[in-house]
Order: sequence, then structure tokens, then C-alpha cells
Amino acid sequence: MTFDWSIIWQSMGALWQGALVTIALTVLTMVLAVPLGIVVALLRESRLKPVSALATAYVELMRNVPIILVVYWAFYVLPILTGVGFSPFLTGLVALVLNNTAYNSETFRSGIRSIRKGQTEAGLALGMSEGEAFRKIVLPQAWRRVLPILATTWVTLFKDTSLVSVIAVGDLAHTALQIRSQSFRVIEMLTAMAAIYWLLGYPQAKIVDWIHRKYGVTE
Amino acid sequence: MTDTLAKLPQGSTLPDVVIEYRDVRKQYGEFVALAGVNLEVRRGQVVCLIGPSGSGKSTLLRCTNGLETMSSGEVYFDGMPLSKDPRKNRLIRQRMGMVFQNFELFPHKTALGNIMMGPMTVLGLSEEKARTRAEALLAKVGLSEKASNYPANLSGGQQQRVAIARALAMEPEVMLFDEPTSALDPETIGEVLNVMKRLADDGMTMVVVTHEMTFARRVADHVVVFANGQIVEQGRPEQIFDAPQTTRTRDFLSHLGWDG
Repeated sequence: MTFDWSIIWQSMGALWQGALVTIALTVLTMVLAVPLGIVVALLRESRLKPVSALATAYVELMRNVPIILVVYWAFYVLPILTGVGFSPFLTGLVALVLNNTAYNSETFRSGIRSIRKGQTEAGLALGMSEGEAFRKIVLPQAWRRVLPILATTWVTLFKDTSLVSVIAVGDLAHTALQIRSQSFRVIEMLTAMAAIYWLLGYPQAKIVDWIHRKYGVTE
Repeated sequence: MTDTLAKLPQGSTLPDVVIEYRDVRKQYGEFVALAGVNLEVRRGQVVCLIGPSGSGKSTLLRCTNGLETMSSGEVYFDGMPLSKDPRKNRLIRQRMGMVFQNFELFPHKTALGNIMMGPMTVLGLSEEKARTRAEALLAKVGLSEKASNYPANLSGGQQQRVAIARALAMEPEVMLFDEPTSALDPETIGEVLNVMKRLADDGMTMVVVTHEMTFARRVADHVVVFANGQIVEQGRPEQIFDAPQTTRTRDFLSHLGWDG
């Protein structure tokens, strides 16, 4: 068996484009799924039973269904529900945000719950509203505590974005797999794909380690 | 003054009564935490609530600013009844400072930041004005040099002094203390009690739940003894400590090794 590694150099431009899409997907998903995660966490803690039940149902559904299914679901169902045709990128983004919001909400919920009730009471005793006490006292502390978990979620998400390749989002995985099937240079392209994911993922993992060390244990 | 007040009809809210508890009851399931408490706190008075653990004194204190909801009864602050809806008690809470057993300083803020938080968030003070006020209060509790320390880098006594300054930053008319020295190392209790004593000397109205009998004896104008969710005795400290009238009070004091 002979290898032709030149295919990688010839495809560099396309692979770079794919990598940019992967990074964009990761960043946009997190930018949306973090605030939405906080909202869902708060909805789950709502005093209104139907609201908390609905939020819980959403989280439990998303946590127990494979992401790839959500991706397909978004691809087929979203246009029917909205009557608008979404681009593959947007469809993939919706699926990833749906999934990540559920995970982030659990992360934030545990973070929020880990803050002593006395902290909120101290704010209330000063005359703050519950909302003010949450924003000024609970959230900043919870944020610090969940940062290491969010960082881990980030790295997982970075790799999981490859799942949107099944609906032809031009991300790194999809691009590499396309070149593979056109050029038949299977081993070369899979190796290149692994190398690029690793090169991009490793620094992120190292940053996560650093965040864990810095914020992991406080108090 | 006392004579004129005595002539006023029973049950009316007297002009110098700041806090009035009327038949306050609190039940947690089967457990009766407060079994009908009636009490008045007058302006400038230091009232110490004493009694065994679980006797209801902390619960009553927490009912004062609505952190705890009552099962029944009324609390009046300056003639206004506390709402059953805790969210509606914000204005009353702004006028009452509270100090907690576990300090509850905000760990993500410096000592100065902790004190500035209330005035900035609740009163809408500018950062500059809040800072000036906070610096003055830190000086008052003797911690000016710790302004930029985070709570984790302060001793228990220092944390509690910052917590007192934080409450004072709202310029409250009443200060509530919930066992302020119970979580402290013995050597730092004194510094906190001294700050409280000075506050009392300045004329602050204070309701203090405490196990520090020496403090209650020296500083209180009025001592209230709790047992099983009820007031079993109240009066001047000399009376309570030197000539207790009820067995409950005598039992409690002898348990603490207080021999008058």
C-alpha cells in the first residue's frame, strides 16, 4: 500500500476553511448556550410548577438523546415547524445549542445551589430584591465554581461539533470526509483530520487544566 | 416619659416603639418554634434575647425583617405591618441592618466592596459616595488597613466587624444581631462585642440574640428570656441576672454557670 500525503497539502485551504467553521460553531454554541443555560436553570427553580416541569422535561430529553439525533431532528423538523429553510450551519448550530443549553443548565443549577442560602439572605437583609441578590451575589460566586465544568464542556463540544457533518455543514469533519471520498486517500485524510483536531484541541485542553487549577478549589 | 406612656391605652402603637411583635407564631410541621410572642422594642433600646438553643429567639429575630415568614401574628416596624409576601418588605429591610452568625460576607468582594454593595445596589449611591461611606465605616470598626482584603483573608472577628459595617452602610434605624459571636474564636469575640457596645453607646436601637451573658448584662436595657418558643421572663438585666423570677430563667442561667 502506498500513501500520497500530498493530498493534505493540496487540501490545506479547504481544511482550514473547515476548521474555521468548527471553531465558529463551538464559539457561537457556547455564546448562546451559556446564557440560555442560566435561563433554563432558573426556570427549573421556578415556583410555578408547569414552568419548572417543562424545563425539567426539556433538560432530561436533551441529556438522554444522542446529539446526532437532535442534529437530524433539527434538519428535518425545524423547516416544518418554522416554515423557513435553515442553512446547514444554522441547523447544526440550533441542534448544538439545544443540547448544550441542557447540559449548561445542569451545571449552573448545581453551581447556584452550592451557594449558601445565607448569602442570598445577606443581600435581602440589605434591602435587595431577589433578582438583585441573585445577580450581584449568587451568580458571580456560582460562575466561579462552574467555570472549570464549563471549560470541560467546551472541549467536549469542540469535538462534538463534528456530528453536524452528517447534515453537510462544512465543518472540519465534513470537509475532510468529503475530500476522502473524492480522492480515495482515506488513511491520509483521516490522519490529517485527527492531527488538526488534536492540534486545535490540545491547547484548549491545557487551558482547561489551567482553569481547573486556578478556579477548581476556592474557599 | 415612662409615666406618660404608661397612661396610653394598651395595644396602641406608641410613638417611640420601633418594633412591635404581636402574638407571633411560627410552626415547622409539628414543631412549634414560636408559640405566641408579644414584645416591644423602643427607639434607642438594646434588647438582648437569651435562652437555650432552639427556644425561638433566632426565629423571632428572622421574623423581624421577614427573612422568616410567620405562621400567624404581626410584626410592626415603625407602625407599619410587615407583609406576608417577603418581596414587599424591601423598604423595611433597608431600614433594618442584620448581622449573621456566619458573617455571610460576600467572598467575591473585598471588605470595602462588601460595604459598598448595599448603598450602590439598593440606594443607588455613586461608586465615589459609596466608597467614602464605606471607608468611614471601616475606620469606625477599626479595619481601615484591611479595606482591600477579601473575606478569606480576614479573621472571624474581622469578618464580623466588616459585616457590621456593611449593615451600617445602609444607615439603618435598627440593627438585628443573630448570635454574632457564636461562630468566633474566643480571642476575637471581644473585638466584635466592643464594636457592638460602641454602637449601643451611640444610641442605636439593637435587638441581639446572644449567648454572651456578660454583654447582655452590661449593655442591654432590656433582657428577654426565651424557652420553648415563648417569653418566660423579661426585664432590666439586673432583675434577670440577679433576681430571676422564674425557674426556667434560673435553670438556664445556672446551666451557663452564671451565679449572679
